[in-house]
Amino acid sequence: MLQLTINGQPHQFHETLSILQVLRSLQIEIPALCYDERMKPFGGCRLCVVRVNGGARPVIACDTQATDGMTIDTHTPELEEWRRSLLRLLAQQYPGEDLRRFPDKEFHRFIRAYGLETECLGRTAPALVDETNPYIRVDMSRCIYCYRCVRICDEVQGQFVWQIWNRGDATRIRPDTGTTLRESSCVSCGACVDTCPTGALEDKSVLSLGHAINWTRTTCAYCGTGCEMNVGTCDGRIVTIKPVPDAPVSRGHLCVKGRYAFDFVHADDRVTQPMIRVAGAWKRVAWDEAISFTADSLSRIIKQHGTDSVGVLGSARATNEENYLAQKFARTVLGTNNVDCCARVCHAPTAAAMKSMLGAGAATNSFDDIELATTILVCGANATENHPIVGARIKQAALHGAQLIVIDPRKIELTNYAALHLQLRPGTNVPLLNAMACTVVEEELCDERFLKERVTGFEEFRQFIQAWPADRAARLCGVEEQQIREAARIYASGGPAMCVHGLGLTEHSQGTEGVMCLVNLALLTGNIGRRGAGINPLRGQNNVQGAVHMGCDPDFLTGSVSLKEGRDLFSSVWQTALPAEKGLDLLGMMDAAEDGKFKALWAIGYDILLTNANTNSTRRALERMELVIVQDMFLNETAREFGNVFLPAASSFEKDGTFMNAERRIQRVRKAINPVGASRSDWEIICDVARTMGKGNLFDFSSADEIWNEIRSLWKAGAGISYERLEYGGLQWPCPSEDHPGTEVLHTEAFSIGKRASLCGIEYRATAEVADGDYPFTLITGRTLYQFNAGTMTSRTGNTLLRPEDCLDISAQDAKRLGLSDGQRVRMRSRYGEAILPIKIQDSVQPGDLFATFQTPRVFLNYVTSPHRDKVVSTPEYKVTAVRLETVQEPR
Amino acid sequence: MKRMKRKQDSGHIDSFYHLAQAGETEQFCRGTACFVARHLNPGRWSAAVSREQHTYCLGNCFAAPASSIDIGRPRMTTLSREPIVLGPIIDGPISSLAASTARGGYRALDQALGRPRAELVSAVELSELRGRGGAGFPTGKKWRAVAEQKGSEKFVVANADEGDPGAYIDRFLLENDPHRLIEAMAIAGYAVGAAKGYIYLRKEYPHARVALQHALGEARREGFLGERVVRRDFSFDVEMIVGQGSYICGEETALLNSIEGHRPEVRLRPPYPSESGLFVKPTLISNVETLANIPWIAGNGGEAFRRLGFSNSRGSKVLSLNSLFRDPGLYEVDFGVTIRHIVEDLGGGLKTGTPEGVIIGGPLAGIIPPRLFDTPLGFEEVAKIGASVGHGGVIAFDEHTPIAELVHHVFDFGAFESCGKCTPCRLGSRRIERLFRQILETGHVPAHEKKESMEIVSALAMTSLCGLGTGLADFAQSALRHYAEELEPCFS
Repeated sequence: MLQLTINGQPHQFHETLSILQVLRSLQIEIPALCYDERMKPFGGCRLCVVRVNGGARPVIACDTQATDGMTIDTHTPELEEWRRSLLRLLAQQYPGEDLRRFPDKEFHRFIRAYGLETECLGRTAPALVDETNPYIRVDMSRCIYCYRCVRICDEVQGQFVWQIWNRGDATRIRPDTGTTLRESSCVSCGACVDTCPTGALEDKSVLSLGHAINWTRTTCAYCGTGCEMNVGTCDGRIVTIKPVPDAPVSRGHLCVKGRYAFDFVHADDRVTQPMIRVAGAWKRVAWDEAISFTADSLSRIIKQHGTDSVGVLGSARATNEENYLAQKFARTVLGTNNVDCCARVCHAPTAAAMKSMLGAGAATNSFDDIELATTILVCGANATENHPIVGARIKQAALHGAQLIVIDPRKIELTNYAALHLQLRPGTNVPLLNAMACTVVEEELCDERFLKERVTGFEEFRQFIQAWPADRAARLCGVEEQQIREAARIYASGGPAMCVHGLGLTEHSQGTEGVMCLVNLALLTGNIGRRGAGINPLRGQNNVQGAVHMGCDPDFLTGSVSLKEGRDLFSSVWQTALPAEKGLDLLGMMDAAEDGKFKALWAIGYDILLTNANTNSTRRALERMELVIVQDMFLNETAREFGNVFLPAASSFEKDGTFMNAERRIQRVRKAINPVGASRSDWEIICDVARTMGKGNLFDFSSADEIWNEIRSLWKAGAGISYERLEYGGLQWPCPSEDHPGTEVLHTEAFSIGKRASLCGIEYRATAEVADGDYPFTLITGRTLYQFNAGTMTSRTGNTLLRPEDCLDISAQDAKRLGLSDGQRVRMRSRYGEAILPIKIQDSVQPGDLFATFQTPRVFLNYVTSPHRDKVVSTPEYKVTAVRLETVQEPR
Repeated sequence: MKRMKRKQDSGHIDSFYHLAQAGETEQFCRGTACFVARHLNPGRWSAAVSREQHTYCLGNCFAAPASSIDIGRPRMTTLSREPIVLGPIIDGPISSLAASTARGGYRALDQALGRPRAELVSAVELSELRGRGGAGFPTGKKWRAVAEQKGSEKFVVANADEGDPGAYIDRFLLENDPHRLIEAMAIAGYAVGAAKGYIYLRKEYPHARVALQHALGEARREGFLGERVVRRDFSFDVEMIVGQGSYICGEETALLNSIEGHRPEVRLRPPYPSESGLFVKPTLISNVETLANIPWIAGNGGEAFRRLGFSNSRGSKVLSLNSLFRDPGLYEVDFGVTIRHIVEDLGGGLKTGTPEGVIIGGPLAGIIPPRLFDTPLGFEEVAKIGASVGHGGVIAFDEHTPIAELVHHVFDFGAFESCGKCTPCRLGSRRIERLFRQILETGHVPAHEKKESMEIVSALAMTSLCGLGTGLADFAQSALRHYAEELEPCFS
């Protein structure tokens, strides 16, 4: 315990803190303009000087630890005079006009507090203004050289964009290119703006829309990281979004999507009125009419074709409560298990592999384990672009000494920080991971104790894995044998090793088995059930983990309980006999529709036409349906071409509920603005249709909280998570009772399936999708930083300036060979279809590989992707398509 | 803390240094010794100040105002009881390894490697040797601190960035006896457990670079560096890093950042370099003259060294006297001699007038007015009168230099060399420079400016991050204290 005397008053503290932290906790305010909790103390501004034990020289509070018995004086006349002198020096260079315009800036507050308003005689230097970034206005004539922008970019984002040029009073801060922010390596995360204490860096939205009047803490609706954010609103409009300092995952950081890409909410083409298609044309209707039409059409089709001719797709973008209702609707109102969600096309293989081997289809560990891991194995996950906050944390971990192994066919950003990059041929994860397991076994790097206590099937596995020596995999994967061995050694030795994986592991014909291979590695080395280790899928969408967990899966009910196990409980709570027939998953629905057996689909927040692989077959399926209900914010491609009813949904800024992130954390979503126009939240729409179809008693909810309480009554591992508790921060399941703290690491004492988990020998079955003379290239699809998936949201924001359209990444070598120049449009043809898009020469792809996103309807890239699917859970093989390139005659 | 990796590209880093692009053309010095002697050669001085490229101190202060043209060695005199530092070179440069060993070079190393490491650390502690680079920190304490650090990777760094205008002691130790530095570093490396040394040499000393390069090659060839030094179980090598023009790099933590390829800003302390220095490893960092004492201490014992000097300042000290003295040059004296003795007896008085004051240890220290000339040379004794032993460069000035001009010159230097990290130094030094420029141009500034400038100087003194800011404040405060009569009319 620390006994401190501060300004003559005694105080006690129980933790190790700097003097500044102590003062802040006591709300004793002193200026500390170069200080921000998110970074190491810098000691540049010199304003936080305090007197300690009456010493002759003051010390800086930010970098001096409070020690027992200290006497601290914070506001002696001398200290105040020094502070005023320093602030005056800063003020004399500072343009005064912003003081009144932005009264809340940290620097402006202190200028006022020390009565220096009239000293601000600086002028804006046009040469120091940079407006090139769509979101950030730079005006370095307002810079006070606290270097917070430089340091947050280094120490939090790990981007090293802001750099310091010259010295002394000639010092200038400029982006790394020395030119504009737009031309620099800036990723527009906005961290620098957030920390800037002056008007040097400012959100353009605040400049154009004004200051936020109200702030709402909520959870980001982009990827599955689960960053919390403060949404600033003014007159029913979002004007800015800021990171939440004490958020457990994002720790006061956000990426360009969460921080800035919110303009879609107010986009001109947002549909805010229900519509029905009449004689080929959309007609705006009242909600009553849209609901009646939907209910009547569904009833009619069920009557005509049976309950299994209809299905529902929940939405990974919607809340847990809404997904719960979507599947409850399918099972109790429609009477079918035909319910699924987009997990089918991303991490269904992960869930299946982990559930079968470990008993739980979710991340074993938490993001907080990133800093605890000695080794981080990143497999098929471009974290810095697709989960930027996780990516930033991994980068910082690597910068602080963690060993990083990257398995990826592309030279992604993390490879710059990696000890090893295994640049494998697309589709060869299984042999590579098998060979790593073989090395572990061969070189006796197994965790013997863990094998003995927690693992079965080692002997059989040992026999099996002998067939996978590194040299065999090396030939198949195109990776050097030594690299594979080295990766295995690093992973297996020297402390906890954490696996982080993404769709590069799952979206393959052997996706589920690929994940199983990864689980094998963790089991062999004891890297499961402890901190800094585990198997951790990076879930692609904000609530994809939740959507499945709530039961948007033909085979599982809420809480990932199988139909068989849950039948009694659910039947009794829902007062309905559960449908007996096995349900169809998304791909099954598409196949059945092509066969004419599936007639009606309700797609909530999911543009299947644009995003399903092999568009031609999706088209045929949608063409043969009688009813396509689209519930969305925008007239997406599915709606535009095939929709019969359009139900306008509220965005996550416009409703209450919860999301579940990739580390099993349930966090609150809170309403920041009213639904735009006549749009309504998904759960209200579902309840209305259910009521109209005569099941109002089962859908009698008036708030998200009420729905959540029904979920808790059915889901044991979530029973302890109440809205009341969530007010104080998210909780990770299992959390079976209200006094349970939640669970950061799964499988610590035993696996969910029992004390021991079994190793599983996986034979390699190469994909049927093979590059050959006609189709010599292998196309990999994926996402990029600026455009999220189908681009439904991001394409309606300034991100479009940062990445305007899909393009095809190609190696310089291939481009040269084909005589293609950067930006030239090409026709990419596969065995299944074609798309036209410009090429971009990138050294991230190896010769023979190509990479593209599928955000632009004009390109419609999924015409090219194949019908191949994972053998276990039908996830399409988005990551491997054999293609050829043809030049396009440009119209003159 | 683990070692940090950073994305390296050097454009912005290079922009920190003012000589990054400088070639081998003749440079003209605008350092303080040249400034106070500008009337001796007005043409050369105006060449210096009209150049866009600033050069502060070429170590030719004995011939100031100076250019980079080689003018040979200064006069060297040893007056101390033991000619420890200058003795070996008093008769001329030691230009080869053979010449060095003939004069006993590397004998101390050879002996040291046969002794327990702890004995060497104790000897340095016992000697009470204090750093000769400015701060006067007990060298033995540093040795002990580094020796006691755990971990296999440690470094020895020789600070050969003798940037204080007026000091040219290290320059001639480097040029005339480079092997002594190498020997000292190897002894230090052995004693503290380091296998790698760095010499950080300022770019303004091209002859020293050549001499060191040559000596390092010889020492490696002859087995005094490299694997198994003199066939003992000790490996040690030394790498030379040449600076690119920046006074602040003489500050030890800025110097470490510079070696690491980072922006050479001053680091927060603690942790001190002895705990977390170069590449976050324990690092022993000492200036050249300090290290030049090491072979003698290793050979003669700490007690023999402690017997020299006086008070808390033991051993000898080399002083470099500027060109205004009748007898400029290098003098090795025992601590305890008075300033008056230095000015009048060693320097023989001034050539062109009477001394108005002297600055010892560079311009970032207090001025010593004639009425305090009876102060004895000792770290505490000189500190007590608001000045500093510093590096031992002695710059006397006469009536050709009005005090306001000197203040302007020093603040112009300070503002130019400020790294910019801390507010008082980045903005305060330039603010004072502007004020005095106005005084020089118009004769005076409004009286209220005095209050504001006093406040700035006070903030500079009390809140600066490193010795550059506090040294400027020491200088300004001593000027205002000792030359109030002359300065008062400037504020009216």
